Amino acid sequence: MRLCNVLLLCSLFALPAAAEDLTIVSWGGAYEAAQREAVIAPFVEETGHDVTVDVYDGTWTALAEHGADQGWDVIDMLDDQARVACGRGLLLELDPRSLFTSDALADFTPSGPTRCSVPQNAYARVMAFDDRAFPGIKPTSIEDFFDTERFPGPRAVQRSPDGILEWALLAEGVPPEQVYGLLSTDRGLKLAFRRLDSIRDDIIWWQDPAEPAAMLADGRAAMAAGFNGRFFDMAHHRGAPIDIVWDGRIIGIEVWVIAASSDAPEAARAFVAHASRPDSMARLATRIPYGPTRRSAFDRIALNPATGAPMRTYLPNAPQHGGRSLLQDSTWYANTEDLRLRRFRAWLNEDG
Amino acid sequence: MLVLTGIAVITGSAASLAALALLELVSILNTIFLVAPKSRVQWENTPGLVAAATVLVPTVGGLLVGLIHRHLSPAGRPLAPPDVIEAVQFHKPLPDLRSGLISTATAALSLGAGASVGQYGPMVYLGAIFGNFAHRLRLGVPEIASIAISCGVAAAISTAFNAPIAGVLFAHEVVLRHYATRAFAPVTVASVTGYVIANVVFERPALFLVDFQGVEHGYEFALVAVLGLCVALAAIAFMRLLLELGPWLTRHIKRPELRTASAGLAVGLTALALPDVLGIGTSTLRFATIDGAFGLPEVIVLILTKIVLTALCIGAGFSGGAFSPSLLIGSLIGVFFWTLLSSVSGIPSSGAAIYAISGMMAFASAVIGAPLTCILIVFELTRNYDVTIAAMVAVVFSSLLSHRIFGRSLFDVQLSRRGIDFSLGRDHAHLAALKVADYLQPDVVTAAAADTPENVTARLHQKGWREAFVLDPAGRLLGVYTPGGPDGHGRVDGDSHPAKLIFHDDTDLAEAMERLRGFVGDAVPVISRDGGYYLGAVSEADLVSAWLDEAARLRKEENASV
Repeated sequence: MRLCNVLLLCSLFALPAAAEDLTIVSWGGAYEAAQREAVIAPFVEETGHDVTVDVYDGTWTALAEHGADQGWDVIDMLDDQARVACGRGLLLELDPRSLFTSDALADFTPSGPTRCSVPQNAYARVMAFDDRAFPGIKPTSIEDFFDTERFPGPRAVQRSPDGILEWALLAEGVPPEQVYGLLSTDRGLKLAFRRLDSIRDDIIWWQDPAEPAAMLADGRAAMAAGFNGRFFDMAHHRGAPIDIVWDGRIIGIEVWVIAASSDAPEAARAFVAHASRPDSMARLATRIPYGPTRRSAFDRIALNPATGAPMRTYLPNAPQHGGRSLLQDSTWYANTEDLRLRRFRAWLNEDG
Repeated sequence: MLVLTGIAVITGSAASLAALALLELVSILNTIFLVAPKSRVQWENTPGLVAAATVLVPTVGGLLVGLIHRHLSPAGRPLAPPDVIEAVQFHKPLPDLRSGLISTATAALSLGAGASVGQYGPMVYLGAIFGNFAHRLRLGVPEIASIAISCGVAAAISTAFNAPIAGVLFAHEVVLRHYATRAFAPVTVASVTGYVIANVVFERPALFLVDFQGVEHGYEFALVAVLGLCVALAAIAFMRLLLELGPWLTRHIKRPELRTASAGLAVGLTALALPDVLGIGTSTLRFATIDGAFGLPEVIVLILTKIVLTALCIGAGFSGGAFSPSLLIGSLIGVFFWTLLSSVSGIPSSGAAIYAISGMMAFASAVIGAPLTCILIVFELTRNYDVTIAAMVAVVFSSLLSHRIFGRSLFDVQLSRRGIDFSLGRDHAHLAALKVADYLQPDVVTAAAADTPENVTARLHQKGWREAFVLDPAGRLLGVYTPGGPDGHGRVDGDSHPAKLIFHDDTDLAEAMERLRGFVGDAVPVISRDGGYYLGAVSEADLVSAWLDEAARLRKEENASV
């Protein structure tokens, strides 16, 4: 499982005396490539540290198992995983006030750095549709995902309770800030599954996050639930006629953390501070549609260097998107996983 | 004017911030104590813990609330809007600050522990506490204390519902009961201040947002009127139960902390089967606006248990109001009505939300006696004209019926049990608060039974009175002696006649004025109700001046500009 990429990005530059070896762990793929270009290379250029990039599967258990012996320093994590890791003492406490000025701390959105983590970008679960399937009126809201009369056609949905239950309640008119509160009750779950019943026969399930975009592209699905980056990729790099509906987007946050076992904590802190600058965030967002977590970064986002697409339009947390948005409640997610899975499987088995 | 504006802004800000802090504290406690569904579900893997918390938290909370009231609070009970109304109406200070703060703390504890009580009563009281500080300042503005208290109240309501217009109306409709410019202007400023703090500074979400398409059928307005009448009957039953349960519990459970603990235990045990009854019930309120979220049997059980548990909790002495439980019960009755309508009788309708909201406000209006406030709350929360008009119909019909059968509001009936009766209006209540015993004439002529008529006549002549009151040696009134009567063999008691009109020490000015109708004579004797001892006499002229003075004072207060 472990893939290791070693790059010496700065061998041509004169190394300052304090240069250290730094291991940054991320997710691989197009995301990592964008990170290297936008965040890591400028850091190396500026500081002269040696940076190695490793890939992991995103879980806190991987950090617990391999972090120390593979010398992980900085890790790119999902917010909810980082919370668990922080609680278990796997992460270095950052003291955000020493890393950022108070103006910078106030610049973070939707929330600032915590004890162990600094938010770096925002991704979203969104609904997208095949433009060819709806030549007249296009779907514009989450309600339309559940409206098979006005918008007939197969729906690609992840075979998991994640996201779809939130959408079911949003479609019932529940305001975003009450969604998790209501999903915490038996009545709320029942209502969500009742809504899901209305599209039961139209659902085609997916498990791999790459599938929904492919299903829309090849016409297997008319609408799909998936991640905004994948839909963007399919639409812009492969020319598929896919459009994203931003209403009801469920925003998740990606954070930077430092392993408690890090042997170069100072260099790691320097990297986190550098990566959290508005210009670093903006450079990442021009390459891949993951939104910055600082307000001031939005003003710096330019066109995609490869396709020339104006990237500000495609960021999940861009301020100009109207409609409803929901911030994924990481703690709630972690603690209710069993319950949601159990209820979801029961629903799957009900009559199908 | 500057003073009033300054006081309004300061009181409004303080009351609003305090109200937000109270809400935040309650929400934290609800999370820690596993009252909020969102925290309960996260411990779902350890059902034993959730069940234990469900039963123990309200019980122990009740025990603590009772103990704190008994040992730490001078008032010994939770303070509530009726105390605010009394203070404002009679220009008295609120009960002592310590009792007020303890009442607020126990309200946070009661709400935090999931008792079936509401948060708005404590918020209103907390707002009033800030207004009460103005009582201590000597600023030379008449009635400053009651205006400042009303400012605090308006800001609290405005913050609670994100509804500044409703805040202003609530302060006038329930607390001040007049619309003088001198009060209206600062109360409005305070209410807007509260709104700005809640909405602009802290960006609090509204209590509920409803996406509503409009009322589809004309006959639905008639249906909500019927709903208003049904809701009024339920509200009357609820208020009667609440007022009966308090004394009943006091008779049967002597120690106050055991009363609250047992009410808490009842809530906890019920919540094991029906978690919706715990706490403020924000999620239940939301479900009520979703079509088909409740089955018919379920909603009936929920309405009944919520009515009984709320009456029990408030009657037992938990600190908290009846307003937000009223919203919940009313909305469930609305849902019940809608379910009957749509699924049983099959009448097409515009959805559960309109009935839930109409029922909610109709119930609340009957309980707090503030129809205008309730209508405005709907308008400001939904910003929807159609819903507001439908709710308005339900509210007036409910108010009409409950006012006729029960009284203007729970607050007014509670106050009338303390001897302050607003049912005939504000002026009557004020006159009723003045006792004739406070207007005794110092130089009325009295006589002993054995005095001679000549002696008494001479004294009467000297003082300018026409009647003397004849007393026995113990000081009891024997009769009234008027010179020129039949010969009594040299003793005034033989010549005296029984008094035509007698006041007692507890006779108030309103009653006295009524009984003075047709009275001829210059003074009325006042005797003690037990023993019949003569206390003195009041002259008709003094009573009339007292009445005129009070009427003038009220008129001045109600028409004051700045």
